[in-house]
Amino acid sequence: MRTRIAIGAAGILLGLFGLFRLFTEIPGADLIMLAVWLVAAVAIHDGLLSPIVVGVGAAISRFVPPRGRRYLQAGLIVAASVIVIALPLIHRQNTQPTSKGILQQNFGGNLTVLLGIIAAVALVLYAIHVARDGLAGRQRPSAANDLPSEDHSSSTR
Amino acid sequence: MGVQLNLPGSPPARWPKFSSPLRSTALTARLGRILGICMGICFATGLLSHYQYQPWSWLPEPASPVWGYRLTQGLHVTTGIATIPLLLVKLWSVFPKLFQWPPAKSLLHGLERLSIALLVSSALVELVTGLFNVLNWYPWPWDFVPVHRFLAYVLIGSILLHIAVKLPDIKYGLGTKVAQGDVLTEIPWEQNPHAYSNSNDTHQPPPVTEGLSRRGLLVATGAGVGLVVATTVGQTVTPLSPIGLLAPRQYKKGLQRVPVNRTADQARVTELLDAVRAGNWQLSVKGAKPYTVSLDEILAMAPHEAHFPISCVEGWSVGVQWRGVRLLDIVRRAGGTEDSRVKVTSLEPRGSYNYSFVDGPQVSHALLATHINGDPLKDDHGYPLRLIAPDRAGVLNTKWLSMVEVL
Repeated sequence: MRTRIAIGAAGILLGLFGLFRLFTEIPGADLIMLAVWLVAAVAIHDGLLSPIVVGVGAAISRFVPPRGRRYLQAGLIVAASVIVIALPLIHRQNTQPTSKGILQQNFGGNLTVLLGIIAAVALVLYAIHVARDGLAGRQRPSAANDLPSEDHSSSTR
Repeated sequence: MGVQLNLPGSPPARWPKFSSPLRSTALTARLGRILGICMGICFATGLLSHYQYQPWSWLPEPASPVWGYRLTQGLHVTTGIATIPLLLVKLWSVFPKLFQWPPAKSLLHGLERLSIALLVSSALVELVTGLFNVLNWYPWPWDFVPVHRFLAYVLIGSILLHIAVKLPDIKYGLGTKVAQGDVLTEIPWEQNPHAYSNSNDTHQPPPVTEGLSRRGLLVATGAGVGLVVATTVGQTVTPLSPIGLLAPRQYKKGLQRVPVNRTADQARVTELLDAVRAGNWQLSVKGAKPYTVSLDEILAMAPHEAHFPISCVEGWSVGVQWRGVRLLDIVRRAGGTEDSRVKVTSLEPRGSYNYSFVDGPQVSHALLATHINGDPLKDDHGYPLRLIAPDRAGVLNTKWLSMVEVL
């Protein structure tokens, strides 16, 4: 408990220090806009982005068969990681003087390449999984279409 | 806060329900651990970067290792970018907690949840504005630097408070095999008869995850973050530049193979530099024995070469071969020594960085450069003369020099 109090107190002090500096050194009009950004960030994340992700996840669970599901899910996680970074780059490309050496790539094309690689890797891993199942099925005919990891595939959702 | 007393004991009909067995305190604790480490690195390297701009007079910035700022600021921006997908996955893993009922059990619980709101909002804004700054994009009215800096304290403070509040959960989560941990839903585990025990109850079978497993989710997240790092870090780890498909900066595309933070045009010195080319330029050196020196005289002095990286606060850096005269030689001629404090001033008429101070060990190591990678400086790199010192934030290497003051 003492550790928790010490960590918590340090956190409160650091946070209050940051708030104090913000309120004493940043003009009021800027603080209002910052507050708008802070609220908007949570609203967009919790109200828009997260429901979409949860909805996509639920749709995958419902419509994609278990054997392929994990590769689709993993592929989408990797793809989304790349997309969130690529989108602002695409928006900003070619906006600065060329001598700065900044934002001079075709980020849309690069993102397409990366998504292609991610899809290819996911497909190859899925194909290996299917091939292994086929092999196991031939050796053990009774176990065909019954994956060890999904033995108990009663719905948990 | 008295409102919650009147709330019904159960949530409204059609209240969101979460059942994915992927979510677990065991998973969240692992994501939180790496996220906390990244945030800690970002905060510490951010403080080091701030110190570059406002050092204490009794503890000047060191001159070695020459790549010090290159490393710390490269880490700052790289971990910051890596943290964006990591934070999104971590927040996904606890999304059901947003819908716990009642929203607040007590005043203290309500305050704790408000601190989580502050944590999430400051983390999102800090990371997004940091990334946009790297992209030279400022769709907000406030001054980026102080807000980024002070909001960092709010963020790190709310992280520490969060760790303190959740320490028992963290201990449970990290102490439990990821496949066997509880299922995290909108119902707190102690009230949920269907949740797996939070106390390592091994009588329950581990939750079944169809499709992706929890371990698989961690691996996929690691792969996503790894791919983002691998394709962006080339802007500072230059050997990885060829695979930098998402790298904002590419040193090879910069003028004279070195990127530029602020062009002559942006600094409004283009016309002044035309005058320099016409011969109207002298470096004015002030001190005990003031003097002026022309560009021809500087070029005739014994040249010194140095290989210092130029490392920008925006997270790009590249090693550069510089040629010029030693700042210390200029300072000594004005009656100064290696212990002098030196101010260098630019032709740039305005701007926050049209002057900078050189202190301590950097005075002996700094160059006033005329050449970059073997060629004369072009306008955007600071023609006719610029400061370059080791372990120094890029923008503090003042360009288009007009005056050196030995203080």
